[in-house]
Amino acid sequence: MKGTIFNIQPYSLHDGPGIRTIVFLKGCPLRCQWCANPESQLPHPQVYLDGQKCIRDKGCGLCDGACPHAALAGGALDHSRCTGCGDCLDLCPAQALGVYGETVEAETVLDTVERESVFFAHDNGGMTLSGGEPFYQGEFALALLRGAKRRRIHAAAETCGHCDPTILREAAANLSYILYDIKTMDEEVHRRFTGQSNRLILDNLELLFREYPALPKHIRTPVIPGVNDNEEAIGDILRFLAGRKNCTYELLPYHRYGEGKYALLGRSAPRFPKAVDPDRLAALRSLCRQAEASGAIQALI
Amino acid sequence: MAVIELSPQEKRIYNREKPAEKRTLQILQTFAGKRPSIDIERGRYFTESFRETEGQPLILRWAKALYRYAEKATVYIDDKQLIVGRAGKEGRYGILYPELDGDVLDEAIHSLPERESSPFDIAPEDAEYIVREIAPYWKGKTFHEALVKALPEETRRLTYNDDEENTSRYIVNETASFRSSIQWVHDYEKPLKIGFNGIRREAQEALARLDEFSAVDTTEKKPFLEAVILTADAIVLWAGRHADAAEEKAALEQDPVRKAELLEIARICRKVPAQPAETFHEAVQSQWFIQLFSRIEQKTGTVISNGRMDQYLYPYYKADKEKGILDDERAEELLECVWVSMAQYIDLYLSKTGGSFNEGYAHWEAVTIGGQTKDGGDATNELTYLFLRSKREFPLNYPDLAARVHTSSPERYLYEVAETIKDGAGFPKLINDEEVIPLLLAKGATFEEAYDYCVSGCSEVRMPNRDTYTSPCAYINFAAALEITLYNGKMQKYGDEVIGLETGAPEEFETFDQFLQAYLAQQKNLMKHAFIQQHEIIRLRGKHFGAPLASMLHALCMKNCKNIHEPKIEGGIDLGYFEFIGYGTVIDSLAAIKKVVYDDHRLTLERVKVALAHNFEGYEIERQLLQHAPAYGNNDDYADSIGKRLDRELLEFTKRYSQELGVHLDLRYVPFTANVPFGKVVSATPNGRYAYTPLSDGSSASQGADKHGPTAILLSNYATKNYDYRNRASRLLNVKLSPQCVKGETGTRKLVDYIKTWRDLKLWHIQFNIINRQTLLDAQKHPENYGNLLVRVAGYSAYFCELSKDLQDDIIARTEHGEIA
Repeated sequence: MKGTIFNIQPYSLHDGPGIRTIVFLKGCPLRCQWCANPESQLPHPQVYLDGQKCIRDKGCGLCDGACPHAALAGGALDHSRCTGCGDCLDLCPAQALGVYGETVEAETVLDTVERESVFFAHDNGGMTLSGGEPFYQGEFALALLRGAKRRRIHAAAETCGHCDPTILREAAANLSYILYDIKTMDEEVHRRFTGQSNRLILDNLELLFREYPALPKHIRTPVIPGVNDNEEAIGDILRFLAGRKNCTYELLPYHRYGEGKYALLGRSAPRFPKAVDPDRLAALRSLCRQAEASGAIQALI
Repeated sequence: MAVIELSPQEKRIYNREKPAEKRTLQILQTFAGKRPSIDIERGRYFTESFRETEGQPLILRWAKALYRYAEKATVYIDDKQLIVGRAGKEGRYGILYPELDGDVLDEAIHSLPERESSPFDIAPEDAEYIVREIAPYWKGKTFHEALVKALPEETRRLTYNDDEENTSRYIVNETASFRSSIQWVHDYEKPLKIGFNGIRREAQEALARLDEFSAVDTTEKKPFLEAVILTADAIVLWAGRHADAAEEKAALEQDPVRKAELLEIARICRKVPAQPAETFHEAVQSQWFIQLFSRIEQKTGTVISNGRMDQYLYPYYKADKEKGILDDERAEELLECVWVSMAQYIDLYLSKTGGSFNEGYAHWEAVTIGGQTKDGGDATNELTYLFLRSKREFPLNYPDLAARVHTSSPERYLYEVAETIKDGAGFPKLINDEEVIPLLLAKGATFEEAYDYCVSGCSEVRMPNRDTYTSPCAYINFAAALEITLYNGKMQKYGDEVIGLETGAPEEFETFDQFLQAYLAQQKNLMKHAFIQQHEIIRLRGKHFGAPLASMLHALCMKNCKNIHEPKIEGGIDLGYFEFIGYGTVIDSLAAIKKVVYDDHRLTLERVKVALAHNFEGYEIERQLLQHAPAYGNNDDYADSIGKRLDRELLEFTKRYSQELGVHLDLRYVPFTANVPFGKVVSATPNGRYAYTPLSDGSSASQGADKHGPTAILLSNYATKNYDYRNRASRLLNVKLSPQCVKGETGTRKLVDYIKTWRDLKLWHIQFNIINRQTLLDAQKHPENYGNLLVRVAGYSAYFCELSKDLQDDIIARTEHGEIA
């Protein structure tokens, strides 16, 4: 079983218990306008040229004329011509030419993850599937989870929840921990900023609470300026979660780390230039703490 | 931009927090940040005494010199101090060991104040006295000169430059002439328990039992025992003079509280170290007298270690607490009184080599905490936690703190260790029982001895009554071996001189294996000369260095009536070592040649050499290709398998050849700060490293080459070790984490997870720098704001601003691991 991943990242500390290795699967059904991992959205490999690493100014020009599709010229990559074949990659001495995405066997991925397994031994460390949306390549994700179970690797997944419920069910049966994003309860706002309704997402979450009550669920909300950085939006989510079992909650302030990657993909940067207002964030956190104090939710801020 | 998480140390600096006005902080403020000066009394009284005792047995001469010092040297009772004893004038001081390096003394005295690394001040009249009275006596008598003469021509050329001072060539570097012993630890428990009167009695009884017709008894054992008695008298006399001085001060003191303190100091100094200690205060004072007198006796490189303080002080602590005469605050204050005393003694290296090995006034007076009891149980106690708390609360890089970790270390201990590391000053370093103990057993120690080991200095370990090998060892520049391979026996720095073997023009090698074989031949050749060097050092040292105090505190020396520096002491285990400098540099260079030249055929070796010869100027394509080859530190078999091969070849060599020297010379990867000066003789290397820049340090990856996070460097270390050989010792490993990685309670827990995995992998040593790169860069620009900024260097922490620019850059270049994603 093959699938396309764009990174395997060891020593991850904030995506489940213990020390974890994250496997990033490519492809996502949402198009969040603030997306910090634009390279994760499309399911196929995408070639990029990093001008900062390029040493053309030091006399290099090895990639000139190397592209069979004429996408490379004068130290620039024409994304409209690039097919993502990757024939040019090995030519570049500086690794300025690179590719987001590699199609690999699930077992190969697991072999790589297992090399870190000595770090998983303490505190339930393990593998976390992420993306993109890990269940977008549903069968591949399941292959990874089944394999992890066989290898006794603690498995977690971080999902946006917009996925086939059949896939989610079997995944949940193989997961020890799930990180689940709710952006907003407001369907219209959700549609406007992500391109999709949140119905499926909320239904899937209900499914998990109902059918997999023992699975620890860590719900997260990325706090986005102008989208959900208000008491009402967060309050709605807190009310939705009130009284749920095996559930923790966390606010993730929006960041702009992904900005540079848009340029590498030949796209323009996201429309959310400013960081979350610290006072807003503090107010929202205090809202979470109140909910926690009242016993409605188990907040994890 | 994200808000940067700061370590507690960084917060203190940025917020300019004013610490509370407590006693030990006030003492600290009298000397912190001030440049040390040289005190000549030790050099002076030793020289005076040695002039008078020529021809007598060496051990006795040493005891007489110590007695002269005890009798004549100035004694000091510092204001506010509760623990007394210093070996030099007020403020930070360094003392002279002319028997070691007296031949370079007069030259060094003039350059010390201007030296870039670890400068010292000296009073003009003292400088004049040194040049007139001290230096001339030692010319022609020092160990350094004798060693230069003893080495065969070929070995000497690899060891020294052909100049007047015989400065190091940094290829096969000897460290025996800038210290009279490797890092050492005494059995402090014995003198605390029976006092020097007790040890003196043992010596007298042994003296009475000697056979007056035996030549050995008369010429060897008798002077040894007489030296023991005289040395015991010396330290007791010296302590008594402190009692006198305290009483004199008390008589003049107006403040009744201080007066009472002074009288208590006087009472204690009359009692210890002559008699057994009975209270915690007495034990701490006795221990300080012993270690300070030991520093006066000889230069242990670098500074005598403190052993398992949380073990041997515990009975006194416990008893006093039960009696209600001691609380934790007082115990902490007494310990901090020792820490500030330690901080004023600066290990002075006169030679340029010594100075560059030990930048930033290096010191390794390791205090060991935690670990296991002699019968294999967990040894953690309340005092262990007190040491950790003192380290978190008291902003000082003394003492060097080493925490032993084993599979049954309690969670509380691991968490408090992690919390202390998070403070960001680099303490404590961790030593792994699961690696150390089996190796000690394999070398012949009993379980009891092995469980009771203590950390000695940088990252080495000792069994105080079983280790008997004190000869300083060779530091070998294997990056130079690589360069010699590339240039068929020569080095860029030395032109046409043939330095190593002529293994052939590498351009003609058809396979990588041929290249590797040529390198291994060069590696083996340097080993050969390192062992020749070591052989001469072992033979010579007993003739130059006596250590009656160190010997009387060692069960086997007392039993055999032998100076600890004799080549062989019956019943002892001789654990020496040799040092691999530039491990990451060599592995990455070989991997780059294999990949780029032989596997991918992207460049010819000729082309690589042209790029190297130009220090990559105009050859950026070549440099990038080489630099992107697989590198050590990324858990990548391509590079790690080469590292394992190099390690194995060295182990095989020492397995075969150290036996005939009668010692274990084990493979170590511990650079001090030597990776900087060693780098200065090596031109550009095929891993993309520029000419004459630092080599990789210890068993860490090349600067910036580890790109797969902090788990990969542990796994690469694990993958490059040959666990089937017992001929290995410490691998020093520096890991730099950003404060964000260890933030909060979750961060502490994940640091503990990481430490546990390090332990599971049976790696010897690890230490952390938890600091932001921006902080270091700003400290370089504005040193005035960062006087207190401590960083982990190599087994010790130093003030960042006291390091040379080169070393600062090196520390900045060590990869900072943040979490990615």
